[in-house]
Amino acid sequence: MSYSNPEVQAAQAALEQRFESMEDKRSILRAPELAALYDRLKTLPAGEARANFGKEVNQLKLELEKKVREAQASDVKVEPLDVTAPMDINASMPELLSAENGSCHPLMSEMDEILNIFYRMGFGVVESRELDDDYHMFTSLNFPADHPARDEYDTFVTDEGLIAPAHTSTMQNRVLKEYKPKLEQGQPIAVVIPGRVFRNEDLDARHEHTFYQLEGVYVGKDVHAGNLAATIRAWLSNYYGRDIDIKIQPFYFPFTEPSFEFAAGCPFCDQKGCNVCSYTGWIELGGCGMIHPSVLREAGIEASTYSGFAWGFGIDRLVMLKYDIEDVRHFESANLKFLRQF
Amino acid sequence: MKVSLNWVKEFTEASMPIDQLVAKIGAQLGAVDDVVNLGERYKDAVIVKVIASEKHPDADKLSVCLIDDNNKVQDVERNSDGLVQVVCGAPNVHADMLAVWLPPKSVVPATAAKDPFTLEAREIRGVVSNGMLASAQELGIGDDHTGIVDISETGEVGASFAQTYALDDYIIDIENKMFTHRPDCFGMLGIAREIAGICNQPFVSPDWYRQDVNIQTPVSESLPLAVSNGASQQVSRFTAVTMSNITVGPSPLKLQTYLSRVGVKPINNVVDVTNYVTWLSGQPLHAYDYDKLKALSGQAALGTRISKDGEELRIIGGKTIKLRDGAVVITSGDKVVGLGGVMGGADTEVDENTKNIVLECASFDMNLTRKTSMEYGLFTDAATRFTKGQSPLQNLAVLCRAVEEIGKLAGGKLAGPVQDIHSDLPQPTPVFAETSFINSRLGLSLTDADIDKLLGNVEFKVSDSEGKRTVTPPFWRTDIALPEDIVEEVGRLYGYEHLPLNLPQRSVEPPEVDKQLAFKTTIRSVLSAAGANEVLTYSFVNGSLLDKVGQAKEAAFHIKNALSPALQYYRISLMPSLLEKVHPNIKNGFDKFALFEMGKGHIKKHLKDGELPNEMNILALAYADSTKSADGAAYYQAKRYLDYLAQAISAGGLIYEPLPPELDFAIVKPFEPQRSALVKTADGNMLGIIGEFKTDVARSLKLPARAAGFELDLSVLANAQSMKAYYPLNKYPETIQDITLRMASGTTYAAAEKVLSEALMTIGTEQGYIYQLKPLGIFQKPEDKDYKQLTWRIALSHPDKTLTTEEVNSIFGMLESSAKEKFNGSRV
Repeated sequence: MSYSNPEVQAAQAALEQRFESMEDKRSILRAPELAALYDRLKTLPAGEARANFGKEVNQLKLELEKKVREAQASDVKVEPLDVTAPMDINASMPELLSAENGSCHPLMSEMDEILNIFYRMGFGVVESRELDDDYHMFTSLNFPADHPARDEYDTFVTDEGLIAPAHTSTMQNRVLKEYKPKLEQGQPIAVVIPGRVFRNEDLDARHEHTFYQLEGVYVGKDVHAGNLAATIRAWLSNYYGRDIDIKIQPFYFPFTEPSFEFAAGCPFCDQKGCNVCSYTGWIELGGCGMIHPSVLREAGIEASTYSGFAWGFGIDRLVMLKYDIEDVRHFESANLKFLRQF
Repeated sequence: MKVSLNWVKEFTEASMPIDQLVAKIGAQLGAVDDVVNLGERYKDAVIVKVIASEKHPDADKLSVCLIDDNNKVQDVERNSDGLVQVVCGAPNVHADMLAVWLPPKSVVPATAAKDPFTLEAREIRGVVSNGMLASAQELGIGDDHTGIVDISETGEVGASFAQTYALDDYIIDIENKMFTHRPDCFGMLGIAREIAGICNQPFVSPDWYRQDVNIQTPVSESLPLAVSNGASQQVSRFTAVTMSNITVGPSPLKLQTYLSRVGVKPINNVVDVTNYVTWLSGQPLHAYDYDKLKALSGQAALGTRISKDGEELRIIGGKTIKLRDGAVVITSGDKVVGLGGVMGGADTEVDENTKNIVLECASFDMNLTRKTSMEYGLFTDAATRFTKGQSPLQNLAVLCRAVEEIGKLAGGKLAGPVQDIHSDLPQPTPVFAETSFINSRLGLSLTDADIDKLLGNVEFKVSDSEGKRTVTPPFWRTDIALPEDIVEEVGRLYGYEHLPLNLPQRSVEPPEVDKQLAFKTTIRSVLSAAGANEVLTYSFVNGSLLDKVGQAKEAAFHIKNALSPALQYYRISLMPSLLEKVHPNIKNGFDKFALFEMGKGHIKKHLKDGELPNEMNILALAYADSTKSADGAAYYQAKRYLDYLAQAISAGGLIYEPLPPELDFAIVKPFEPQRSALVKTADGNMLGIIGEFKTDVARSLKLPARAAGFELDLSVLANAQSMKAYYPLNKYPETIQDITLRMASGTTYAAAEKVLSEALMTIGTEQGYIYQLKPLGIFQKPEDKDYKQLTWRIALSHPDKTLTTEEVNSIFGMLESSAKEKFNGSRV
């Protein structure tokens, strides 16, 4: 690059020479010579001379920036490795980290424990999707298009109209269809669906946009709402290792009729009232209900012959209650101070 | 839905203690968010008579008043006549008026909920004021703070203000979503009926609330109105009537307190009546200024149609919204005067000068109302109600009720016939619901009579026709269509606490285990036992993270409505999320760790109609070491983890191949090709990638000098598992000897090892030798970079004999010559 202005020429020569010997190549951009040129520019009267001078100074700066970039790129000498070797040259065999620092994520450990209970209760397991379509998330669950019940679900939507499921019920239609042949051979459908679900809401200590849910589905002949309550109670009692009282209260979901919310008698205070249950003796855990006949029919199951129930609850909440965790955001923080406590 | 208990009690007894009632509502109607004891807030407010009001000696705008409270309040300073002195700043205070007094030590009601302000006797400019005379704003019953509340109706001096105005009330806030399907529960009448029902009390709707109302036609049509319903598909019923001789003014305090109890601001008598009737019945109404309507369009007309792009409407409050195609609008001639079901227009609003009005009571499609409300961000009480599907069969009753109230409170007279445009209105459909069916779904054994009573209490009709139990819902229940709906009704009214807690029948066939989940559990325990930490990170990433690791954003599913920019894209692979978590942990004081996660990756591709993207199950592990003491490249540390994992799950013999330079997979983008490998299973299936990271990736994510990781397809890994191989324990001793081979630096470890292990395998198969080959070290002299030395430790044995020295030497000699022959290796 050549410059017509003698001042710029002089600066260029000086800087280029210094650049070669520099340790920190980036510092060339802070050189006094360059700053002096800009200061000089300010003193020039407006006009063609000033414009030309400015152009050359900028040109010089760009040239230096390019040199810095090139130097940084070549600075990195990437040595190829023998990728098949078990260890580096002149190095010892790498060791694994100490077992005492290892940890499993508390949500995943809890999920394993809960699934184990459901296995023992006779429930199969089907994992939920993380990206699904409107049909499975809403339509197959008796939410017509534009139905106001959709307002309760702030879903993430992709450009293609795909949905980040807001509940594991997004798998219900698939599960019902898959197990329908067995049902018709006299085998009730008993499946739990664990999965990661999403709500498009702002984060705070009590709200996460990402959390884990577990859904249960049971369909057979003459299945009634009392069976539902008993199943939830049996699971909770096993989970907490003691008899747990439960109550079911009316709620509204389009995919169940009747719909309920269920609460467990607080296992931390024998329902006497404590911090955990906000002194009510009850902990609200999730939603449930008798599967709506339209949902059964959508999966090809004869709703006059079969009936069933479904329930769902959040795993994060159970874990937070269990360990008295103060902030739901810890779960997805990958913070070792948090994780290594489990 | 805010429910005023006193309002409800106008229709049903509801006499049980409040705690029990709230618990019962929660158990049999819907979850209660909050209960506010209004009575507590107003307990000290007393109705007083102002006996004298004189100008304050030292302040022009203040008056010194003497008030008579009939000696109701204790511990307050009184003059010789028993009157109390209060300083008041309101311009409207005058002798002989009735006002509301907040005595010393009482809390100003409007401040009670947030930041309670307790009054006292204190001097104002040298004159003692014992508490205060209160404005509507201070009482929390309205916005007016320009003057004190003037109780124009008769009030008893010394009476409790709360009792006189039914403010000794409880406000029970029931979650709106409970009533997504219950339009009737958005009015006090509906709530009262349900409370009666769950208390097993029969409820009878008041006379005015029926579908066949006859409204008297006025003698003359003094205010003609042309009513039309262009959007009849979306507006199933459009009903309007004109009224003249209106005197607009503030509503009586009594009406204002009805509204303020449920959180509605009083406006004027006409608007207040429409709101009162809305909160009573659930059916919204709207009042227009007849003369403004006529002046605006040049004709006395009211109609509906679908909006057109670019039309404008100034809504109540003054904001102008630009309309798009597809909403229902209310029109007068060619002018838009309201957004149907959502909000009225400002240009036809009823104000203090209004003399004539149009009252409209319409039925808007619930789904379209929701769409419109969301589209324009207008979430009004009317929209809340219409989106639940109000019954069009109640319009006349509600309209008549409003006409009557406006007649009483604003002097209005009917000025034209009720115009009621509708096609066939759907009547409640009878539902067949056998008692046996209801019992089978609830596990109960209710009798016909039990069910008749439960349903009859809330005005359902049950009859036996042709041997079938037929349940006919009342006209306001638009939600009842299926026998299951009757099951819900009966179960709830009866009480879910009576359900029998029997576990369902189960078969003894063992349920299927989800293999993928079981496999993840195994990996979790293997890696955590090796000191690694399982993490969970979001499925969504910021676009800037994709840029940093060189993954093309076009390959990721873009989320169009994320609240936070951190959640713009579905992640393609897991490694970028893990790398993002390395630096924060180093900053937190952890200098050496391995993070791993099992999750899903999504790569965007063109999807056929109804096709869903493939969800790849991934295991990723990132190793990071910021200590200076470590020896060797981080790559080998990651490889150590992967080899250990493969061995633990018996998926051994993984193949590591240099990255082909042309490889253009998103998953390999963060990895430095010179220091990374493709990983394949022993039978050649592509498993994933392992390696160190590109310099710019390391720099932008502030990775320590030693960082490496791997990312694998979990399903491929799961399939690579095999059964553990067992070898019988040998009773003959084992001979252990090392072998060091010098070879050209370009010879890979794997190539050299392959030669040795193949040679050993041959003597194993042919002669029965048992061997173990273990790497010990790789050495290179700094001055001799062209060559390297590899050392292995070999353990040899034979199931039938003790090995002799000659035998061992000959085997090592054989290995030596193989090395010489295959890769020109020489024994050292």
